[in-house]
Amino acid sequence: MLVMKQLTKVYRTHMIETHALRGLDIHVREGEFVAVTGPSGSGKTTFLNIAGLLETFTAGSFHLDGVDVAGLDDSARSRLRNRKLGFIFQGFNLIPDLNLFDNVDVPLRYRAFGARERRERIEHALGQVGLASRMKHYPSELSGGQQQRVAIARALAGSPRLLLADEPTGNLDSQMARGVMELLEEINGRGTTIVMVTHDPELAARAQRNVHIIDGQVSDLSAEPVPRPLGAAVNA
Amino acid sequence: MLAYYVKLGVKSLRRNPVLTGLMVLILAVGVAASMATLTVLYVMGSDPIPHRSGQLFVPIMDNSSMTGFVEGDDPPEQMSYRDAVALKQDAPATRQTALYGLAGVVEGGRSDIAAAMSDGVAVHADFFAMFDVPFREGAAWSADDDARSARVAVLSHRLADRLFGDQDALGRSIRIGGTEFVVSGVIQDWRPLPKFYRLVGGSRLAHEDFFLPLETAVALEMDPQGSVDCNTDTGLEPGFAGLTRSDCVWIQMWAELPTASDRQAYTDFMAGYVEAQKALGRFPRPINNRLHPLREWLEVQQVVSNDSRLQTWLAFGFLLVCLVNTIGLMLAKFTARAGEIGVRRALGAPRLELFKQYITEAAVVGLAGAALGLLATLGCLWLIGRQSPQLEAAARMDWVMLVATVVLAVGASILAGLLPTWRACQVTPAVQLKSQ
Amino acid sequence: MEIRPILSTLLRNKTGAILITTQIALTLAIIANALYVVNDRLAVAQRPSGAVEEEVFRIQVLNYERPDDIAHAQRHDVQLLRAIPGVKAATWTNQVPMGQSGWGLTLTVDPTLGGSGVNGSPYFNPDSLVQALGLELVQGRDFLESEVVEIDPATAQLRADKVILSRRYAEQLFPDQPEVVGRTVHLGAGADAAPLQVVGVVDRLVSPFAQASDAAYNTFLLPVRYLTEHSQYLVRVEAGQRDRIMAEAEAALLDARSGRLVLQNQTLDELRGNRYRNQRAVAGLLTAVTIGLLLVTASGIVGMASLWVTQRRKQIGTRRALGARKADILRYFITENLMIGTVGVLAGAALAIGLNLLLVRTIELPTLPAVYLFGGMAALLVLGVLAVLGPAWRAAAVPPAVATRSV
Repeated sequence: MLVMKQLTKVYRTHMIETHALRGLDIHVREGEFVAVTGPSGSGKTTFLNIAGLLETFTAGSFHLDGVDVAGLDDSARSRLRNRKLGFIFQGFNLIPDLNLFDNVDVPLRYRAFGARERRERIEHALGQVGLASRMKHYPSELSGGQQQRVAIARALAGSPRLLLADEPTGNLDSQMARGVMELLEEINGRGTTIVMVTHDPELAARAQRNVHIIDGQVSDLSAEPVPRPLGAAVNA
Repeated sequence: MLAYYVKLGVKSLRRNPVLTGLMVLILAVGVAASMATLTVLYVMGSDPIPHRSGQLFVPIMDNSSMTGFVEGDDPPEQMSYRDAVALKQDAPATRQTALYGLAGVVEGGRSDIAAAMSDGVAVHADFFAMFDVPFREGAAWSADDDARSARVAVLSHRLADRLFGDQDALGRSIRIGGTEFVVSGVIQDWRPLPKFYRLVGGSRLAHEDFFLPLETAVALEMDPQGSVDCNTDTGLEPGFAGLTRSDCVWIQMWAELPTASDRQAYTDFMAGYVEAQKALGRFPRPINNRLHPLREWLEVQQVVSNDSRLQTWLAFGFLLVCLVNTIGLMLAKFTARAGEIGVRRALGAPRLELFKQYITEAAVVGLAGAALGLLATLGCLWLIGRQSPQLEAAARMDWVMLVATVVLAVGASILAGLLPTWRACQVTPAVQLKSQ
Repeated sequence: MEIRPILSTLLRNKTGAILITTQIALTLAIIANALYVVNDRLAVAQRPSGAVEEEVFRIQVLNYERPDDIAHAQRHDVQLLRAIPGVKAATWTNQVPMGQSGWGLTLTVDPTLGGSGVNGSPYFNPDSLVQALGLELVQGRDFLESEVVEIDPATAQLRADKVILSRRYAEQLFPDQPEVVGRTVHLGAGADAAPLQVVGVVDRLVSPFAQASDAAYNTFLLPVRYLTEHSQYLVRVEAGQRDRIMAEAEAALLDARSGRLVLQNQTLDELRGNRYRNQRAVAGLLTAVTIGLLLVTASGIVGMASLWVTQRRKQIGTRRALGARKADILRYFITENLMIGTVGVLAGAALAIGLNLLLVRTIELPTLPAVYLFGGMAALLVLGVLAVLGPAWRAAAVPPAVATRSV
C-alpha cells in the first residue's frame, strides 16, 4: 500500500538546512494497522505529511497504492489524496461554520459524486461513528470525542484505501480516547489500512505493528538508539 | 489614560501602514466631497442680506400676449417700463426701486489709461437705503435728483481707484458714454454673493462699477444690458422711445414692505392696477401677479441650481459608502488583534477600558483623516469651481468650514468605529488564549 | 458549486458580508444615477453647432464715438477683414452660435391664427453667414446682395423680404412639408405682420443660447444690416492660420477708426467651452465620484476577503488536505464573492430606483433608463470578482500542510 525507500526531506531557509528525514524506509501492506512512534522532533509529522501527499520530498521514492508520486503536480496530488486517503487530525480540524452533514460533505464535493450519492455516503459514515442523529448540529455543540468521531466519519465517507491519523487522541480525555481507538480498530477490522502517528506508547501497543522513527530514520524498537550525528538540527 | 490610549492608537496605526493609509485616505475623500458640496450649497443658498431680507419683495405682473399661452404658465421675470413707473409713483411701499443693467465706456480723472467698458446699473435713489449699501465717500443722490433726471453717479471703489487713484472722487466729473456726470458717492467693497438684486440678465457674479439714476439713463436713451423680452402682439415701435412705450419687459423691481399689512396693501394695489390696465386693452392673459419675498425669489431664480443639490446628495452618499468601508476595515483590523484583546482582558482590563481604547484609536484615525481631508476638500472645491465663475467665488474655505471638516472627520470615524469596537469588547479571554 | 455550505458560512458571519453588500448596494445606487447625468450632460455639450467651428472666430467691437455713417463703417470693417490673407469669408452679425447673448422672435405661417407662432432665434447677416460659418444649404439658395435691407433701430422697425430657415425650424413651421422654398412666413402677428419669403433651408444652426432642449436649433437668417454702435463679425479662415489672423484682425479694426474698443476676440471653440463649461464640469465631478466609489468598494472587498483568508487559513489547509485543488479553493472564494455581490446588486438596484425617484421629485432629474441599471449591476459584479482575485489567489496558495502543522 505505502512504500517509501530512502526517503529524504531537507528544509532550506536562508541560512539553515534542516534534515527532517534521512533515508527513511517503510513498507505498509494493505489491511495493516501501523503505529508510527518517536520522540518529539523525530520527523513523525514530516513523514505523515509526505505520506499524505501534503508535502513533497527531496530524495528517495514513494509509491502509494502502486502509484509513483514523484512526478505528480499539485493538482494530481490533490486528486490522489482526495480519492485514496482519509485524514484524521489531532485538532479535529472541523469547519466551525458548517454543520456535521456539511463537514463530512467537504471531501466528497471535490469528487464527481451526485447529490444523492453524497447524501447516502454521509449518512452512512455518520451512522458508522454513531452520530447520524445529530447531522444538523454544529461542531461547537459537541464534545471533543464526538468531534473527532465526526472527523473520522469525514475521513471514511469517500471510501479511502488508507487512513492517516495524526495523534488522533491527543486532545481527548482517556475515556474518549478509548472510544476513538475502538472505532479505529473496528474500521481496520473491515479492511481499511491505517497508519497512526502517536507519541503515546500505550496507544501504539494497540496497533498491529510499530515503526519507530528517530532523527528522521526508522529504527527498531528493540535496537540500540542510533547515535546522533554531530551538528544534527531539529524539528519535524 | 487618554494619552496612553492615544499613544497605543498611533502605534497600532503605524504597525500596519497600508491598512491605515487606506482607512485614512477613504475617510478623507468622503469627508472632503461632502464638505465641499455642502459649503457651496450653503454659500449659494444663504441669505445675502439677513437683517433686511424679510422686508424686501419682488413684484411680478404678467403683461404677455396670448401667443403661446399655456394654462399655468409662469409670469415673466421682469416688467415693462411703463408698469415699473406706475408702481414706483403710486404703489404703497416704504421704498421702491426699479433697475436695469447698463454698460458704457467710463472716462475721467487720469487721461493716461486706456478706455475700457464698465458694467453699471440704473436704479432709483431708494436702492442704496433698501439694500444697505455701505458708502466710502459721499452718499446716494436724492429723490429730487431722481425726479429731475440729474446727471449724478455713484461709483464702485474699484472704478474710483482706477480713475482717481488716491484722490477723492467726490464731486469730480466723469463721462459715461460721452455724457458728463458728477460723482455723488463712492461705495465700499460691496459684493453680495449671490448678486441677488439683479438675477435676470447679466452676470450673477460680476458686480457693477457705476450706478445712475434710472430716469437719467432713460432720458439719455442708454440701452439696456441684459434680457429684453417682447412677447407682445402690438407692434414694436423703433428706437429706445418705442421700447419704453412697449410691453417688452426689461426692468426689475423691488419693494420694501416691513409689515404684513403693507404687503397686503401692495398686493391689493397690484391687483387693482392690472384690472384697470385690462380695461384699457392691455394684460390679455388671466391675472397672474406675484410678490416674491427675497428668499423665495432666489429659489425661483434657481440660484442654488439643481446640479448643486444633486452634487451634494451624491457627495453624502459617497461619504456613507466610505463610512461603511471604514467600518469594514476597522473590523478587519480589530479582529486581527483578538489575541491582544484576550490577553488584556485576562490581565484584568474591564470592557469599558477596552471600549475607550479602541474608540480612541478610531478617533486617531479620524484626526489623520481630517488632516488629509482638509487638503482633499480644497481639491474638491477647485473641482466644483470649474463649473462656472459663480461657483468659483462660492467655493471657498473659511474658518467655520475648517472646523466643520475636522468635526465631521473625527465624528464619522468614531461612528464607524462603534460596531468594530463593540465587537472587540465581546471577546472572551479564554477562547482567545486557548487557540493559537 | 457548493452554494448551500457557502451560504451557511456567510449567514454565520453576517457582519462582514452585510458591510460589503451595503457598500455594493450604495455604490450601484449612486453610480447608476451619476453616470446617467454624466452622459446626459456630455451629450448636450457635444451637440454640433452646424458651423465649421475650427475655422471660425468672432470679433466684437464697440464704437463708443458713434460714427456718422454706421453702414459705411460696417462695410469698411468687413472689407478690411476680407483683405487679411487667409480669410475665406466674413460678415457682420447680431449674434453668434453659443455666444450666450442674442435675440428671440416669433414667426408665424398664418398671422391671423392667434397663438400659432413658433419662437426662433434670428441671425442678421448683410454678408453671407452661410459662408462665414460654413453652413450646409439643403434647400434653395443663399441671399443675394440686392435682398439686404438696412434698418436703423432708432427710426425703423425690423423687417425684411426674404428668410432662410434652419431645417428644424422649417419642420416646426411647416409640419409634413418637405419643400418649403417659396413659402411665406410672417414676422410678428396680427395685421401688421411682415411677410417673408423662404429662399433657402440650412441643415443645422444652433442658437446663441444653445439651450438643452432641441428648440436650440430653431433658428433663421435675415438679410438685414442693423445699424448699432456694437458690431460683431464672424470670420472664417484657412485651417491652421486662425491665431495669426485673429491678431491681425484686431489690429486692423482698431486702426480703422478712433473711439473704438475691441470687446471680444474669440474662436468658436472657446465660445463652446464657455457655454458648456458647466455641463463639462458637472460631468467631470460626477465621473470622479463614480471612480472614487468603485475604488472604495473594491478596496472594501479586498480588505474583507483578505481578512477571511487569514481567519480561515486552517480551514483552507484542511480542505486542501482533504483533496481540494488550488482551483477549488479559488472557485470557493469567487463563488462566495458572487453570492455576496448578487445580493448587493439586487439591493442596489432597488436603491438606485428609489434614489432616482427622490431626485426626480426634488431636482427634476429624468427617470433612469434600465440600461444604466443593468450595466451598473454587471460592472459591480465584475469589479467584485476582480477585487477578490488577489486574496483568493493567496488563499489557494495556502499549503495543505497547514492542516497538520499548526496546532
